[in-house]
Amino acid sequence: MSREHNKTPEEQLDPSRRRFLNTAAVAGLAGASMSVGLSACNQDSKPASAAPAAAAGHADAAHEGQNPHLKPGELDTYYGFWSGGHTGDFRVLGMPSGRELHRVPCFVPDALVGWGITNESKAVMGTKADGSLKYTVADTHHTHASYKDGNYDGRYAWINDKINSRIARIRLDYFICDKITELPNVQGFHGIFPDKRDPVDPAINYTTRVFCGAEFHVPLPNDGRDLESPEKYRSLFSCVDAETMEVRWQMLIDGNCDLVATSYDGKLAATNQYNTEGGYHYEGMMSAERDACLFVNIARVEEAVKAGKTTTIGTSKVPVVDGTRAANPDPKSALVGYVSVPKNPHGVNATPDAKYFICAGKLSPTGTVIELAKVLDWFDGKLDDIDKAIVAEVELGLGPLHTAFDGRGNAYTTLFLDSQIVKWNVDAAIRFHAGDKSAQYVVDRLDVTYQPGHVNASQSETRFADGKWLAVGCKFSKDRFLPVGPLHAETEQLVDISGEKMKLVADHPVRPEPHDFIIFKRDLLRPKQVYDMNEFPLAVKDQKEAGVFRDGKKVTVRIASLAPAFEPREFKIKVGDEVTIILTNLDKVEDLTHGFAIPKYNVNFIVNPQETKSVTFKADKPGVFWCYCTHFCHALHLEMRSRMIVEA
Amino acid sequence: MMIPQALRGLLLLAALLFAAPLVRADAYEAKLPAELNTAPRLCDYVPCAEVLPGATIFSERKGRPFYVEGYVEEKNGKRLAGYVMLSTDITDIPAYSGKPVVTLIGMDATGRFTGSRILKHSEPILLLGIPESALVRFNQQYLGKFVGDNIEIGQSRPEEDIIGLDAISGATVTVIAQNQVMMSSGAAVARQVGILERTVRPQARLLETGATPDWATLATEGSVKKLTVTPEQVGLPRAAQPFIELWYGYLNQPDVGRAVLGEAGWQNLLARLKPGEHAIFVIRSGGKESFKGSGFVRGGLYDRVQVRQGQDAFTFRDLDYLNLYGLAAAGAPRFDESAIFIIRSDAFSAAYPWKFTFLGNRVDRETGTRSFANFDSEYWLPAQYLDGGRPEVKKPAPPWLRVWQTRRYEIAAFAALLIAVAVVYAQRDRLTRAATRNNKWPVNGFKYSFWLISIGFVGFHLMAQPSITQVLTWFHALLFQWRWELFLTDPFIFLFWIFIVATVFLWGRGLFCGWLCPFGSLSELLYKIGGWVGLKRFQFKLPKVWHHRLKWVKYGVFGGLLAVSVLSMGLAEMLAEVEPFKTTFLVGLFNRSWPYTLFATGLLGLSIFTERPFCKYLCPLGASLAMPTTFRWFGLKRKSECGSCKACAVGCGSQAIDEHGRIDQRECLHCLDCMVLYTDDHACPPLVHERKRRGKAGQPLTPIGADGYYIPIKPVSAAAAQAAAANAATANAPSGMALQP
Repeated sequence: MSREHNKTPEEQLDPSRRRFLNTAAVAGLAGASMSVGLSACNQDSKPASAAPAAAAGHADAAHEGQNPHLKPGELDTYYGFWSGGHTGDFRVLGMPSGRELHRVPCFVPDALVGWGITNESKAVMGTKADGSLKYTVADTHHTHASYKDGNYDGRYAWINDKINSRIARIRLDYFICDKITELPNVQGFHGIFPDKRDPVDPAINYTTRVFCGAEFHVPLPNDGRDLESPEKYRSLFSCVDAETMEVRWQMLIDGNCDLVATSYDGKLAATNQYNTEGGYHYEGMMSAERDACLFVNIARVEEAVKAGKTTTIGTSKVPVVDGTRAANPDPKSALVGYVSVPKNPHGVNATPDAKYFICAGKLSPTGTVIELAKVLDWFDGKLDDIDKAIVAEVELGLGPLHTAFDGRGNAYTTLFLDSQIVKWNVDAAIRFHAGDKSAQYVVDRLDVTYQPGHVNASQSETRFADGKWLAVGCKFSKDRFLPVGPLHAETEQLVDISGEKMKLVADHPVRPEPHDFIIFKRDLLRPKQVYDMNEFPLAVKDQKEAGVFRDGKKVTVRIASLAPAFEPREFKIKVGDEVTIILTNLDKVEDLTHGFAIPKYNVNFIVNPQETKSVTFKADKPGVFWCYCTHFCHALHLEMRSRMIVEA
Repeated sequence: MMIPQALRGLLLLAALLFAAPLVRADAYEAKLPAELNTAPRLCDYVPCAEVLPGATIFSERKGRPFYVEGYVEEKNGKRLAGYVMLSTDITDIPAYSGKPVVTLIGMDATGRFTGSRILKHSEPILLLGIPESALVRFNQQYLGKFVGDNIEIGQSRPEEDIIGLDAISGATVTVIAQNQVMMSSGAAVARQVGILERTVRPQARLLETGATPDWATLATEGSVKKLTVTPEQVGLPRAAQPFIELWYGYLNQPDVGRAVLGEAGWQNLLARLKPGEHAIFVIRSGGKESFKGSGFVRGGLYDRVQVRQGQDAFTFRDLDYLNLYGLAAAGAPRFDESAIFIIRSDAFSAAYPWKFTFLGNRVDRETGTRSFANFDSEYWLPAQYLDGGRPEVKKPAPPWLRVWQTRRYEIAAFAALLIAVAVVYAQRDRLTRAATRNNKWPVNGFKYSFWLISIGFVGFHLMAQPSITQVLTWFHALLFQWRWELFLTDPFIFLFWIFIVATVFLWGRGLFCGWLCPFGSLSELLYKIGGWVGLKRFQFKLPKVWHHRLKWVKYGVFGGLLAVSVLSMGLAEMLAEVEPFKTTFLVGLFNRSWPYTLFATGLLGLSIFTERPFCKYLCPLGASLAMPTTFRWFGLKRKSECGSCKACAVGCGSQAIDEHGRIDQRECLHCLDCMVLYTDDHACPPLVHERKRRGKAGQPLTPIGADGYYIPIKPVSAAAAQAAAANAATANAPSGMALQP
């Protein structure tokens, strides 16, 4: 334990913390979800923590800083991908302005684009036997993008749905969700991270796998067995193929998974574990002094899968390897290694220099720095104790959660309870941990408002962290914006980290409730301006191909839109028909999107230039129904309609 | 009394000219509907069916550049009849006026011209000098001709595969421009629809040097270029700020692309380019005008910028646009508008020069009307970035050069004539000494020969009669936009003016007016002939008092024209019909409506009876040249006795010698009669007096010196004589005729 080590920095920064830690930490953390003890937490911590941060603010005056505010017509320099929390969406922001540019519907229906309405989106989302959507809620937490050579390559982003344990892939050329995979036999799918290259094949210098961690322990299979035997509940670590989106393999582990990180050499994936105890109430989950960070040796796992050393669970065909301690006694053949980390750690993040993973302590005020080379040494039998891979375990402040990097050797960790960001130097922390008590690893502290969760910096999760901007997702906004009733916006705060001192430069309200995000340079993406018609087998490629095609009770209405008209301008169907409308937008002009709404039939969707979509419904109401364009397109937008005549 | 009668006649003619029913041309500065340039349904506004006979259905504007398809209705549908194009959609080649002749052109489906219609022109010559029908007739020559043929103005040259068209006499510049318009418009459409093969240029093999030039280096080597448009170029008041200042450059070249975009930006761009696609960047570093406009929002097309290579124009759609995220090169200018445009055509090659064009509008300050105005700058990737360097490019000779080439013999002859006149005149002292009052042939032999050549060869054949309109045009060109091409298109006028400007400042305007002006020569020749054929007794001079009043009229005419031209060039050109040159030489006395013919023949008829009435009293060109003549280098010589002796003045045909014996060099036409007398010791009274005195005194007659006197007789020592001779030679050097008999 690191109590001794912690003394000096703690005293140097804030002597009141130790007292607080002992009395209020647990209650305060619980408050994040249970609204218990928060006021006590704030009362205790606020006056104490405000002082050093304010001082820091003054000292910062010398640094000019960067301006996050854009003039009209100026473009942001970074993209930001934000999760949307239990809105279930994936958001695209321009940074540093913080302007929201897009929301990509993935797991839940979206009325704007017709996600969950069109046949194409339903096929991605998954349906029940009757054709209705399998799920309509989701909780997205983490989004990360595909890599090549240690930087984003602009192909894909992935996002998790914690509620229904699904992973969605977003194509970054069109910014649409094109695949959703449901992970079998897990609940609470939380952490997600793509690998950065293949552990074996040097030619594969890009992402081919996405790792997924499941938080909740459940009976395996969860088919009604072991309902009252929590000690038999288990959690799985999953690997999804980046291209096919099939689950490649799963791994039975001890404890649970929280967040996930991957190494730049492709050899290691890790997940921090806060419930190594297998507890099913929070007291149980926080009973152990140390939990763990689980390291997975990718190459060995895949060899095992290849060798058939797998089982399956229930009806799932996914091969499952055994990653429990019991099954992996010998480091030289072990698939996994468990590095111990203090008390309910949250967040595991890879440093841009590719050397370390850092776990934040959450209930422990510490950050744990694990050296990857030593973990690999352990797997090679060169290190007797995997905990010797811990090169630093230093006190940062109360409630450390997530860590970002500036590429200059500094880490920025959110302190949930302190409502602060602490900037600390990783090398100095390692020296301090090694015994150099003069090493001043804490560089700066900044108050944020309030209760920061995730933090990320521009390019922080790549080898090219540029140390320009830091965004922090504050879970509470309280008094920061005009009140709009009991539900508050969250505060995404922007910090200029280009100088020695952090400088808070902007508050952006966001609709609840984003969790994680990444920020990267704008020129890493190559979005397409319009669709390629050839990607749609159903496309109505010419107005001449439009019309009504009947096959018994099944009617296909092929419609082409070309501003300001739909072709055909009217079409007749009969009550009782099963109608499929296929609509292609023949307009080629960028940004010329059309909508298509059918009153009383609960249909609305859009078609972007050169895009094709379809809907299927039962004609159950006779009458005239004006199908009209819902997406402003043309001076004759209001006149852009087609008459659906449903004959009795 | 004949004199007042003649005067009355002159005035009457002038009155007739201005009162005459002036047949205004239909298309001259015609008002065109504003929609003409933008409306998709072009044929709703112009008579497409007229230029594509038979077609009844016309499509909307399509293609880049625009054209319209015309269809014939048939029983089972419609058949493509051909294409109709509006010249200004395709090219903005200016004609003589500096403005394009807006022409609607029809072409059948096989690429043969089916018709054309002049919708609007601003050619002054067609307003007055030449009936507009001449241009219509000229255009009719294209009927049935294939768009891919080599059609040029002038003689057909089968051996060179060139089909010749008959020009319009006196409107060469107009028809040369019109030929370019017809052929390039037709070809632009023919290439789009497949009648002509598309140009495919060999692609550049780009050479990577590994250099990372900064902005200054890029600019110096020409890898990035600037295009500036000033407010006055678009008809706005002058201002310190440019209307728009753009920088642009070619991004496919690795060194240039990396230097401009940075490594990541360039790699990202490359990832988006398919083989054979080219990217250029554009930034606005100054000015308020947008180079994007908003046309691309509605129609998807960027309508303010273009790339041209040879006959091919490359325009950009919204899908050809990428964001330019910043300039990496050190020292790059700040910018507030930017783009990366992609050229998706194998007709474009970076190995060859191309032009970046900003398509603007010029607002006419007179009328407020807007006209297209394109501004371009040429780009050619520096040789070090091209494997094998820049390929040799055979640029088609510009039209003006072709004119110089095809008429080289005439040009040589004309130049020889000009040189001969100058040389002869430079030797005038020798000629005038050789001549006497009774035998002026040593001078006149040359002069009359030049007159005849001038009238026949220069006037009627070459039609190189200088005109006040050229002075006005240059005056305006100096003020607004000087275009060498415009002036070079007529080589004879061009050379003539070089001669005129040079000789006016050397010797005064008299050499041109008196020796070479075709009309002046004709006018005086008629006077001489009149005298020789026995009409001498009817020949007269205006009384001095009237002459000295009326000679100012021509300055008034010139001033008036200049003033009017500032307000309206068109009106000034019209009023310049006060010159009978066009009628006499360019169009022909019998090819014009009667007021013009009457005016010209009247002036020429009057010339038989009085010397050069037009030159003396009306000619604005003479007036314009007379003023700088004040600053001539070498004048004619005078003696102190000239103040009292009136011998020369009496015989001065130009009436340029005043009562004090001074020659008004502005009025003098260099007939050299007075110079003949100057050294004629039987005519010049002081010389006659001295000759007689010496005769009486038995003194020898020494030679007549450069000062026009007998060299005085002074006995001196040999050494002093030598020194004096040397001094005299130096002092009299300008005369070229020092004392060395």
